[in-house]
Amino acid sequence: MIETKEKILTGKKFPFCPGCGHGISINQLAKVLEDLGYKPEDIVIVSDIGCSGLIDPLFATHTIHGLHGRSPALGLGVAMGLEQKPGKKTIAFIGDGGATIGLQHILEDARRNVDMTLILLNNLLYGMTGGQISGLSTRKYKEIIDFEKDIPPFDVVKLAYASGARYAVRVNNPKNIKEKIRKAIETEGFSLVEIASLCPSYGMKKLPELMAVADDEEEFENNRPPTHIVSKERNSLFDRERYFSPEFEAHAGKRTGILIAGSAGGGVQSVGAFMAQAAMLSGMQATMKGEYPITVGTGFSVAEVIADKNEINYTGLDNPDIAVIVTEDGLEKVKHRITADTKVYLDEKLTGKIDFSYKKLIIKPFHALVNRKSAALLAVAYVLKKEQLFPLEALKKVLSDHRLKDIFLDTVARVEELE
Amino acid sequence: MTTGQLALVDGSKIIIEALAQSGADVFVGYPITPSNWTYKYAKQRMPLFLAAPDEISTLQWMAGLSATGKIPVTSSAFPGIALMVESINMAYAMELPMVIVITQRLGPSTGSATTGAQGDLMFLKGIISGGYPVPVFSPSCFEDAWTLSNKAVETAIKYRTPVFLLTSKEMVMYRKSFDLGRLKPLQKHTHQRQITGEFKPYKPEANDTPAFVPLGDDEFSTRFTASTHDQDGNIRKADPEAMANTKRLRKKFIRNIDDLFAYEWIKSGPSAKTLILTWGITTDAAKDAIKILTRDGKNVDLLVLKTLLPVHQKLYDWLDDYDKIIIAEENLTGQLKEILFGERAPGKVTGVNKIGMMITPGEIVEAVLS
Ligand code: SF4
Repeated sequence: MIETKEKILTGKKFPFCPGCGHGISINQLAKVLEDLGYKPEDIVIVSDIGCSGLIDPLFATHTIHGLHGRSPALGLGVAMGLEQKPGKKTIAFIGDGGATIGLQHILEDARRNVDMTLILLNNLLYGMTGGQISGLSTRKYKEIIDFEKDIPPFDVVKLAYASGARYAVRVNNPKNIKEKIRKAIETEGFSLVEIASLCPSYGMKKLPELMAVADDEEEFENNRPPTHIVSKERNSLFDRERYFSPEFEAHAGKRTGILIAGSAGGGVQSVGAFMAQAAMLSGMQATMKGEYPITVGTGFSVAEVIADKNEINYTGLDNPDIAVIVTEDGLEKVKHRITADTKVYLDEKLTGKIDFSYKKLIIKPFHALVNRKSAALLAVAYVLKKEQLFPLEALKKVLSDHRLKDIFLDTVARVEELE
Repeated sequence: MTTGQLALVDGSKIIIEALAQSGADVFVGYPITPSNWTYKYAKQRMPLFLAAPDEISTLQWMAGLSATGKIPVTSSAFPGIALMVESINMAYAMELPMVIVITQRLGPSTGSATTGAQGDLMFLKGIISGGYPVPVFSPSCFEDAWTLSNKAVETAIKYRTPVFLLTSKEMVMYRKSFDLGRLKPLQKHTHQRQITGEFKPYKPEANDTPAFVPLGDDEFSTRFTASTHDQDGNIRKADPEAMANTKRLRKKFIRNIDDLFAYEWIKSGPSAKTLILTWGITTDAAKDAIKILTRDGKNVDLLVLKTLLPVHQKLYDWLDDYDKIIIAEENLTGQLKEILFGERAPGKVTGVNKIGMMITPGEIVEAVLS
């Protein structure tokens, strides 16, 4: 035990109405902290809005005063930030109104079980705004005021316990407050202390009345170690970047826009990236944009690639020079983007699906030669061979570094069978 | 000419790498399209990564972490940012450093998650109750994504404030060949404790900003509060000291606006009387438009705003020198135009606006020539 206890409270006059229960809990907390030898600099008091939120000037500790119902979340942020500073303690306060709006934050605190204590002062109502009921107003209390009496309150203590709190307790008798707060402060991990609190101005005026309407005391412990937050320095994202030094000569000079349209699972996005990278290996600038439904495993998959010997600013592809279409999903998605200038490479099986004529149409049996996962790659390889944008060798070079290179290169080799 | 570091990269990667190198040390996030890649990269790169259960928790955790001295970052799109608004106001009033990356997508509401937009500028203009300014930086290219991310961290720390990095889906989910060797190493920013005389949590020091003392500090007990407060951080009603503190929240940015202001002014020659003014993702199209116009012998200047808010008054002096101003931005009503000129812009000002697709170079050229 240390010899001179440092004062946890500033000694400022409490702001509460006469007879308000909140002062009791604050005094008891201060005593516990002093008994345990905490200095003001070791403690962070987190408060929010409502009568229970008026407390920060009362504490000589670090304080942070935030928004209604958010002190459990703000407090968790503080607690996580202080994890690497041993000996510091985060204590958040909330009222029953705050606990209603911020219920999920309490469950999240419990689930995470980072070292902090939440003190919930439950006076069964919203004091600051005139005594409206909260989600923690008990049925017995609501019977008295004859409002929503069939709707039970949240049992936050049980909910916190069920969510993984190391310690969760409800105290109604003021005699037990100090002991339970002490146990919570000494608990390493998340602890919740719900304390029944008098509100003579709007609610229960006398202690026996309050104890008669409060929900029963209860106490739970989870045998669970606290969660520690560990920061660690990590390598640059650029360290694992693949660089492309030009080693081939591009044939195409002007900006060329290519649409690759297929279905989910058809490797379209990868093929788009391979194509862009092959252009880069050929000394061109390139862009690649993917488009697919939010449910990525189904429906269309479209990749847009632009290659240009000059710098590319605008990345829109308004007038595709080439469209590679290998599935019906892809066709549906891009058919309105085909213009008179677009050269369309279409899979043979889609021949019957087009009810309009493309000016420049090349039909090839991509799917007949390879499976659905490889058709887009084969089609793009074929396009490169025919269009001479840049060497097919550049594409092969890109693929040769891939873990699936055997399958990919095999697919590209089959381009010879397409004449 | 190249440094041998030509890669196929996206803006998300550049932003997260830059933020980490600049001193941001924790990412708190809730997933939303098109912030998917910022989230993914942050998980790989940030010293601490926290998956929050919702956007309100995200901002609250960030605030708590920031108050202990961390430099937190998040990334979201309008639906998520909207949920954060009250907490952003809280962090702003508490004066907590943090960087919020916005990946703009097409609204209103859920809108179209994978369609880009530049529709959230007006929202940011009014995001703080009372109309107080928050710094908003908007990258127009990958170099900007790099340097403005650094500036965002620097500004957040120096002025103790949330800072927005306003990007768009096209910037963060588009891959482009880019020579990473062009990106210069970034300065890492950290809290500097400079206290003159007695320490008070909200006593203004350099840059009209209070010294930052973190929660848990061993030397001083400090206070942070979102309610109207005096220099000690105690809640006050509208007394003069508290009002001076509240007014300072604006003053610190307005007085130091030269420090915040970033732009690129590409002049075609001394005689240009037409200006294309743009920001963010539309800059690419504007640059191509300038190329086309130059090729056709037209002298047109391009001004790219990278600090969108607060508005620097000298911008108006610059605009006065032009006979024709085209403001190009991917939104329906011309949000920058409206911020600069209200609902009725002067006759010489025209907007090029569009939703659902990027503005094309041709559309800008057409507006210049018409
Ligand atoms: S209104 Fe009720 S809870 Fe609030 S200070 Fe007064 S007695 Fe206490």
